[in-house]
Amino acid sequence: MLCIPFLLFGCTSFGQADTVISLISKVDIAPQYQLHDGNKVMLMGYSNTIGGSIHLPSPTIELREGDSVELNLWNLSQGPPHTIHLHGLDVNQQNDGVPMLSFAVAHDDTGTYRFKVPHPGTYVYHCHETSVLHVQAGMYGLLIVRPQSADTLTWDGGYAFHSERAWLLTELDTNWHVDSIINHTYDPLATTHEILDYNPQHFLINGLSEHQLIGNVELNAAKDEIVYLRLAGIGYLGNQVVFPPELNATVISSDGRPIPTALQLDTLEIMPGERYGVLLQSSVDLNSVLSVDYFDLNTGSVVNTQNVNVTVEGLVGHDELQEPNEWTIYPNPSTDVITLKAPDLPAGEYEIFAITNSGMIAAHQQINLMQPKELIHLDLSDLQSGTYTIVLATNKSILIDKLILLKP
Amino acid sequence: MLSGKAATVYEHLYITADSLELVDGVKIPHATFSGSPVFSPKNHRILLNVGDQLDLWVHNLDSIEHEFAVYQLTGNQLIAPGDSIQVIQTFSNPGLHIYHDPKNFPDYTSLGLGGMIVVKDHNHASFYWNIKEHALGSNSTILNGGTVNWGDYNPDYFTLNGRSNPEINNDVDARVTGNVGDTLMIYVANTGQSIHSLHFHGYHVKVVYASDHSFRVGWMKDTQPVSAMEGLILELIPDQSGEYPVHDHNLVATTGGNVYPYGMFTTLLIDP
Repeated sequence: MLCIPFLLFGCTSFGQADTVISLISKVDIAPQYQLHDGNKVMLMGYSNTIGGSIHLPSPTIELREGDSVELNLWNLSQGPPHTIHLHGLDVNQQNDGVPMLSFAVAHDDTGTYRFKVPHPGTYVYHCHETSVLHVQAGMYGLLIVRPQSADTLTWDGGYAFHSERAWLLTELDTNWHVDSIINHTYDPLATTHEILDYNPQHFLINGLSEHQLIGNVELNAAKDEIVYLRLAGIGYLGNQVVFPPELNATVISSDGRPIPTALQLDTLEIMPGERYGVLLQSSVDLNSVLSVDYFDLNTGSVVNTQNVNVTVEGLVGHDELQEPNEWTIYPNPSTDVITLKAPDLPAGEYEIFAITNSGMIAAHQQINLMQPKELIHLDLSDLQSGTYTIVLATNKSILIDKLILLKP
Repeated sequence: MLSGKAATVYEHLYITADSLELVDGVKIPHATFSGSPVFSPKNHRILLNVGDQLDLWVHNLDSIEHEFAVYQLTGNQLIAPGDSIQVIQTFSNPGLHIYHDPKNFPDYTSLGLGGMIVVKDHNHASFYWNIKEHALGSNSTILNGGTVNWGDYNPDYFTLNGRSNPEINNDVDARVTGNVGDTLMIYVANTGQSIHSLHFHGYHVKVVYASDHSFRVGWMKDTQPVSAMEGLILELIPDQSGEYPVHDHNLVATTGGNVYPYGMFTTLLIDP
């Protein structure tokens, strides 16, 4: 059972849940969250701890496909009730986090959401109490469901990747982050709530913008490294992500489901509440930027652009190679059986993948070396002619090379 | 309908103008294509089977000149006050088309003059959402001959079939009801000028048709964007019972007149 500890009701076992997670909903009593211009604002948000600051976004919840989950919420907001809506998980009505249709958690009270997660993918969670206010106030976070089989697969039978990034896109209007809104009074009889016009001044990726992105939100990868980029929009503007063409961006999923046909594109639009899974892989060294436009949904006009530095250099796993492990594949090109030669390959468990140019796993083999060995043979006679990426992976290192298969 | 062979379907639309009373009692000038000579706040919906020929007469009962077109399908036809025009069109494929007043586009469409032509190839329970946003003042400006700066468009109200929450659930054409395992079809026409991002609680829906984003056909989505003047067909096969919201996830559009939750928000009601 995976258990994220939590002071008062964290690791208690509730029923047969595989995973128990606890969050505290809190509000700031003074501005503390620093924006790129140095100004600070107040937030509502979820946290793992009582004492810590509220961050944007709230903690990412990571789950395993098929898990039974108990998600505890302790509301220390001092004011209105809060909920957790599990956006996209299609949980039942009782656990949907909509106050009038399921339940809300009052100040100093606790509540528990119980649900299963059958589909690997990218989701978000957020408060659905007076949602237009509470979401903008900061009550949102990413929720990632990983497949049963491996953390480096998008889903069982899906695409393999070497590394992943997850970016949550939103905006912030400082006029909505003042005491009268963040600590708004709660009238249980009130059925409506007035809002201000929404005119955001800050355009965020994982809660950061402008120079704050440097060193925090960047895309650094090795040549031929397959990066799985999870993108989600939770703001009230549209987003347009423009990828450098060298990254060969390929959309493979949306809203926690594979899409029938992968889409290769340079520009991806993400509307509020949508999520996308994108594979990125560059075969050349690259120093570039990936831009994220924020556009008005009423006029279509771009109101801001954030730039993310992109650096591609070196080889995947280069730093992890153990000298003199210079590995080779021969023959290359090959017709069927190949030999992987890696001198002094230590004993241990290895996985070998043959991955197509579109990122699909064409062959997969697990090998347990009982003693050091330098040659591993792999029969690829079932594969069609083409160029494949051959990956030899352990839990500590990964070796990658290209292979050309030429069938008679 | 839907069980017989393709036929000629005769329809009449009447351009009438009055006002639309919004959720908070505010009224704005409004015009629609009514199904009778009497003003209706909703545009008449035209239902066809695949292969049907539509024989449509459009009558301008307003005091000003209007135009008529089926968006991206037929040319614009001018209709003088008191005059009528005829449109004959065969619809060979299932889909959803938006008919509207294209005069000074999007000015006259924005007055409310936009409805849907639904072309079906099934007998499943169907629901119809004509979604639109409204900016106070812009309709008056248009009717007074002024110029609306669409680059500054900032709507105040968000409706589905002319209604906002909580009134949408009282519209039997809009409120999705059914049972677990049913095939429920939702027809969405965005006759406004904003992009809306519809989020479904409880379920993913399958995109069956998307006039502006056809690459999304076959995708399973819990949040489906709808571009301005786009038609969508969504298939919902509920696998659990309950009452679940559907709303615009641009959460500003869940407000009306800056009041939450007077916006684009309805619920699905699914019985076991």
